Formats: sequence, C-alpha cells, structure tokens
Amino acid sequence: MSGTATMFAHQRPVGLGFAVLIALLYVFLLVPLVTIVGASFTAGLLIEFPPRGFSLQWYREFFARRDLVDGLLLSLRIGAITAVVTTVVATMAALCGQVLSGRKSGWFQLGMTLPLLVPELLTAVGLLFFLFKIGLGKTVLGLQMGHILMSFPYAYVSITAALRQVPASLDEASASLGATQWQTFRMVILPLIMPGVVMGAIFAFINSFDLYTISLLLKPLGGNTLPLALFDFLTYEFKPTAAAAATISIVLSVIGVALVQKLVGLQRAF
Amino acid sequence: MIKSRHLRLLLGVPAVALIFVFMILPITNMVEMSFRVPGAVDPFGDDYTLMHYARVFGDGFYWNVLVRSLLTAAGVAILCLIVSFPIAWHLSKASGMKAALLYALIASPLMTGVLVRNFGWMIVTALNGPLNESLIALGIISQPLRLLFTQTLVILALVHVFVPFMVLPINNALRNIPDNLVEASVSMGASRYRVFRDIILPLSFPGIQPGLILVYVLAVAAYVTPALLGGQMVTYMPTLIIAELTGTFRWPLGSALAIMLSLSTILVVGVFTALTWRLMERARA
Repeated sequence: MSGTATMFAHQRPVGLGFAVLIALLYVFLLVPLVTIVGASFTAGLLIEFPPRGFSLQWYREFFARRDLVDGLLLSLRIGAITAVVTTVVATMAALCGQVLSGRKSGWFQLGMTLPLLVPELLTAVGLLFFLFKIGLGKTVLGLQMGHILMSFPYAYVSITAALRQVPASLDEASASLGATQWQTFRMVILPLIMPGVVMGAIFAFINSFDLYTISLLLKPLGGNTLPLALFDFLTYEFKPTAAAAATISIVLSVIGVALVQKLVGLQRAF
Repeated sequence: MIKSRHLRLLLGVPAVALIFVFMILPITNMVEMSFRVPGAVDPFGDDYTLMHYARVFGDGFYWNVLVRSLLTAAGVAILCLIVSFPIAWHLSKASGMKAALLYALIASPLMTGVLVRNFGWMIVTALNGPLNESLIALGIISQPLRLLFTQTLVILALVHVFVPFMVLPINNALRNIPDNLVEASVSMGASRYRVFRDIILPLSFPGIQPGLILVYVLAVAAYVTPALLGGQMVTYMPTLIIAELTGTFRWPLGSALAIMLSLSTILVVGVFTALTWRLMERARA
C-alpha cells in the first residue's frame, strides 16, 4: 500500500490520470450489463439505451412467450440437478484428493479440473459423437451429463479449498474419541466446509445456467435452454423481450455473487 | 488406518469415472471420428481414411480461417493484458471493504453468461446506441460507426469476456511483490517508469504468462461471440466447425478441423511458453 502511495504521491497529475483510466476500465466492464438492464424497462418498442420511459411490459411479454419460459424452466432444472450432483461427487473427490500426496495429488488435481482447461468446444464436439454412440444423443439426460461435467471443476475447486482449511488434527481427535469415519465427516468436517460446499453449488449452478456451446451441440429435439432460446430470439426478433430475459439471468448471477461474498468473501473464492 | 485410506480413495471413483467416461473417451472418440469416411445417410461411414486431413491441410480456405482465428485470439490476449493490468494493479492495492467491492465488480461479469454480455455490446454499439451518441456528442466522430457484424466488435466483446481471467492471476502475482522493494528503489531515486519496467513488470510475469495462455486458448475456441456478433461475413474456426457438425452433418470433417485447431493452439502455447521460460525463471529467482 505504502509503496504505491509514495509512487503516486509526488506526481499527482499521473495519479489523477491513472484514476480516470481505472474509472474508464470499470465502465468498460459494466457498460454492457447496465445497458441491458436499462433497456429491459423501456416503454418503447425498440431495444434502446437510454430507455424510453419506464414499463414492465417486456417482462410480461417474456412470461407470455412459451419458448423463452420453457427455456428458463429447462435451464433452472438442469442447473439445480447439476448443482446437487456436482457438489456430492466433488465433496467425495475432494476427500479422496486429500489423502493423495506429491505427484499423484498433482495429477488428480489436473484430472479433476480438466473440463475447465480443455476448451468447451472440443468437449462439446467429442460428447456429441459419444452420446450419439451410446444412445443418449439428443436427450435431456445427455445434455444434463454435459452440464454436470462442465460444472464439476467449479464445485471441486471450491470444496477442496474449504477442506484445506480444516486441520488434520481434528480428524485424528475425532477418531481417537471413537467416532467412525462417517460420524467424523458428518459432525466435524461437513459443518466446517459447508460454506465451501454451498459456494461450489452456486458456482456450478451459475456455470450450468450460462453454458452455451455444449448445450447447442447436445440439445434435445425441441428442448432449448434459456441461452439457446435467447440466441434464436436475438437472431430473428431482436425485441426488448430479450433484454428482459437477459436481465433475469443477470439478477441470478448477482444473487449468486452476493451469496458467495456473504458466505466466504470473494477474495478467498478466487 | 490402511483400511480408511482405501475407503477414502474409493470416494474418488465417481469423479474419475465422470471425467473419464464423459470427457476422455469422447475426445478420443473424436480423434477416431476424424479418420472415418463420410457417410451416405449417417453423419459418418464405417471405413477409415486420411481424406479429411488431406482436405483440411491442402485447402487454402481452411488455412486462412485457421490463421485468422489464431491471430484474432493473439490480438484478444494482448489487448486483454493491456486492459487488465491497470485493473489488477488497482485491485492489488485495495484491501478490506474496498477490495471486496472491487472483486464483486470484476467477478460479476464473469458470472454472467457470455451470450448476455455479447448482447449488451449489440445495444451499446447500435447505430443510435450510447457509444455512437456519446462519441458524436463529444465531437470525436460525425457519422455513427457501423460496428455490429465486424471483426472489431468481435475482438472488443472477446476482450470484455476474458478480462476477469487475466485480472485475477495478475492480481495474485502483484500481491506477492513486497512493498519495500518498490519503496527501496523509489528512495534510491528510480523513476516511476524504471520501477515499473525493472521491478513490477518482471515480477508480475508469473501472473501475466498464465493469463495470456488462458485467454488465448479460450479465445481461439470461442464460439458464441463470433456467431452472434461476427455475422455471416467473417468466418472463424469454431463457427466453421459447428456449421459442419450441425448444418451439413459432416462429422469426420468437423472433427479433423477441431483437431487441426487444437494442435495449432497447443503449438502456439508451447512456443510461447518456451520463449518466455527465461522471464519466468527471472521472476522466481
């Protein structure tokens, strides 16, 4: 802190320039989101920013559209199942990773985060062929598996980080007092890592909710997720309804970020 | 104790199975697919052939698209670094509530879908949108800029999508630079430029290098942004691959293209890592 302070203290003009630059960069980061939210409340007929007047008509229009609402419901359902399955599997995997050491632990970590490291496009293409081969092509179950795979690393990373904070001595103390492995986990470890588990579930849900490429290749016949439905809508209609749909998914993310911030603090989350 | 360790290892089985069955097998399968003959009715036939690779590597059209994709991704990575470094610097100097707020500010876009953020740029850069209106009001331009469905907008939107991926590793590297190192050099009369060039930049390289690689790899394979904002005029590898898979159903050709893209990406990342090896070593020393 003090290093920067001295660096900029005796050269004020540059300090001011830097502040302006930073402000502009934050504007750059937020401007697309702000315009969407603004445009969704327009009383006019076009997508525009600043919006004309204020109205909730486009939200009414959104909920009247079968294709968009179905997309929202499918996304919510797939996201919820993804959050539950990934956190259970990831908690088990994190407990396993804990007893590995050295090189084995490194390989395990790499394997568990592979879906994050390999571009989504490649996984999606591979899964398209593979699901077709095993008879799950164009099914909701196949799409669900793709979402679980892509969201798994988020849950794994969050839960592993939480588990690392738990001292090993607790495990031993609990065992020496006669608790079984399951009792130790249920009554000692799980309560301690709960914030990390919930954070993992939130990240997995949001990631699933936002996935596009993998859903495009694996989508079941006639079943669009919200992003797929929104893309089609933007291509053919481009009305403020799209801004309402996008605002709904922005609100979901903001709720997620706020929850994570409250639970563990974002600083630790990244 | 031995027994409990085995039990623990068993807990990893579902996760390993998930990754193996739904990721490793499918990608291996894709490699096999790229050698299949085209099918008459199905998307692929039973026999094996090298014709797709011959076609992909022999046709100038595919090379053009590949080079465009690789160059665009490189441009995106570099622009991303330029935009992200000041943000990371600012973030690394914040603490307490301010830091929490800044993290939320930087992470919120990360938690919003790519499609949503791209759609935002469609509104911002519309002919009568806020960007053109403000530039005209400021007297910088007299005619509105036509940005939608141009390569410029694709690059701008991709930079926006990937900024958080660059900010976070650089922020971590900057936080590891001891303050007294900067103080010492300032007190010994180093100019701000010298401090930046000789201390901060080299020492933040352990964050810059992974940031550049991550953004590059993600940008090369990005599909949504060019599909939504690039229009029909500019083709990139991902849009081409998806068109082969879902439009014309030529699965083997699509696979060969995906593999060509992956191999060239790995090659670029490998060369970059080798070239910057010395810089990484210097930062560690």
